[in-house]
Amino acid sequence: MRVPLIPVILVLSLLGCSRPIDEPVSYFNVETPRPFGYVNGDEIPRRIIIETRSGISLQPGSVPVKGQINRWLNLNQVSVKQSGRRYQIDLRYQVFYAPLEVKALTLPGFTLQLSQGEKNISQSVPAWTFTLSPLRELVVRQSEQGEYLRPDSPPSLSLLVNSHAVYGLAASLTIAALTALYLGYLYGCFPGLSRRTVFKRVLRKLAGLSKADMEQALTLVHQALNNLNGQPLFSNRLSEFYRRNPPYRQINSQLTWFFNYSNRYFFSDGMIVVQQDLQQLKDLCEQCRKIERGSR
Amino acid sequence: MNTDTQLSDWREQALQLEQQINQTVIGLQPAVRHIVLAVFARGHVLLEGHVGVGKTTLLRAVAQGLGGDYQRIEGTIDLMPADLIYYTYLNSEGRPCVDPGPLLKHGDTLATFFFNEINRARPQVHALLLRAMAERSINAFNRDHALPHIQVFADRNRVEKEETFELPAAAKDRFMMEININMPGSDAVLDELMFNPRFHDTDRLVGGVTNSGIYYRLNELAQTVQQRIQTSAKLHAYALDLWKATHQPEHYGVRLNDVEMPNLLMTGASPRGMSYLIRAGKTRAWLEHRDHVLPEDLQAVFPVCMTHRLLLNPMYGYRKEQLLPELIQGILSQVAAP
Repeated sequence: MRVPLIPVILVLSLLGCSRPIDEPVSYFNVETPRPFGYVNGDEIPRRIIIETRSGISLQPGSVPVKGQINRWLNLNQVSVKQSGRRYQIDLRYQVFYAPLEVKALTLPGFTLQLSQGEKNISQSVPAWTFTLSPLRELVVRQSEQGEYLRPDSPPSLSLLVNSHAVYGLAASLTIAALTALYLGYLYGCFPGLSRRTVFKRVLRKLAGLSKADMEQALTLVHQALNNLNGQPLFSNRLSEFYRRNPPYRQINSQLTWFFNYSNRYFFSDGMIVVQQDLQQLKDLCEQCRKIERGSR
Repeated sequence: MNTDTQLSDWREQALQLEQQINQTVIGLQPAVRHIVLAVFARGHVLLEGHVGVGKTTLLRAVAQGLGGDYQRIEGTIDLMPADLIYYTYLNSEGRPCVDPGPLLKHGDTLATFFFNEINRARPQVHALLLRAMAERSINAFNRDHALPHIQVFADRNRVEKEETFELPAAAKDRFMMEININMPGSDAVLDELMFNPRFHDTDRLVGGVTNSGIYYRLNELAQTVQQRIQTSAKLHAYALDLWKATHQPEHYGVRLNDVEMPNLLMTGASPRGMSYLIRAGKTRAWLEHRDHVLPEDLQAVFPVCMTHRLLLNPMYGYRKEQLLPELIQGILSQVAAP
């Protein structure tokens, strides 16, 4: 019997191309970065991608755990992402090895376990070798060239050298300081200053008042005296006031007149105001202003 | 006689009385002035001071000068309210008798009632006195007895606190003034008190005060004074500020050392207290020959009328003697008028 040769060869070669049908892992790959150029403390990522046949799942317990692996190697981060039958395992190692010259090191391999029902299947992840470079200058020093310890470089002055910024900063600080001073003045933080201009302000306000505004005028003078005294001033406390502000003793008679007049105006009935009273009040303030300026 | 001349006549009498008392009890001019004000404003007076500084003599002299029926009682720990109203005894025939006690003995002509050492009496007695002072009447033998002229003077000493009952706030509030009697300050007065035999026999001393006999006209007089003396709108505003300052002194800029001002007071002045203040202020204006009240009138009577009405937080209670006068002075120096 003659066997047709060509179809047989074809079938056999096709069979040779196909993978066994019961292979549990359909795709397996380990992605690593460059194997050189690392120094002490560097982190090395490693990604493992694995695809399984249906019904086969990865045993999470077989993935390496976070922590110290050996004397010089830490596993800092482990994450497993599953999408369907595809697993992506991201590992992040950190190297703590201080070599004196370039040294080849190996990330250890491990075995992933897959399970299909009762059956266990292993998939090994190979070790990976890379080189680590020294940080220290020992080799260079041995050759006795150059200096090992360089001075620190000065901080960059580019920010301050910018004259626009410097002028702007100075201007805004000045404005802020002036505003703060003015606010302080308004809030009465400088009693000495405001007390020296008490009657100046009163005189300015009095100028616009007529005898019909006597109440306002008297109140203004009262407030000025209270302000000067630091607390409300009454006629029976005048002597104390003089002790604290001796120059005002010279105008005692006018001040006494003012308090009597104010008492009559505010606290008794039937007071008739004449123009002369207002004038007398203004005279009193003039005298006080003179004392306040120190010219009396 | 028109009211103005009547008022000025009465003023002369009042000033004369004051002068006489000042001659009898020397070195206590401010206290005498306050008592005269309280008497003519028809307010009750509580005196406080050390032992032997002349509290009782002062009150006896005032009672003698005013005229009117006078009764006194000593506060003791076993004194009961009934002791003020009646007392029971067996008469010479062995029959039990009930006679009116000190409060009722003179009926409605009782004028000065002098309660010595009031803080030694029990709270029950204070309670009876509350009504007698506020309403000028008491209930006894199943009917009300009016005491239209009663003027209570009480005193207590500041030294001892054992076996005493602190006056409740309600009882204190019914006193118009609490007046502190201090030792006279001047050496001349002290020398006089020590060596002048005139001051050794208090009975003779008090007996020397002439009885002005104005007592039973006091109610009418006080009413006239209260009506005639004017208060302006500005004064009302000032008094209102003073009142508010006794409740929230911190809002008026009053600051005391080592005190959190918002926590200082439990309560400020009462409406009754303020009405007493205004009454005393009007009386002072009258004595000062004025027909209107000035802030200085209120300032003059503010400490005596207010100090016993302000209740401090218990936290500051132990510093009461120091804090209260400072607070009162602080209020007076921070509240402005107008």
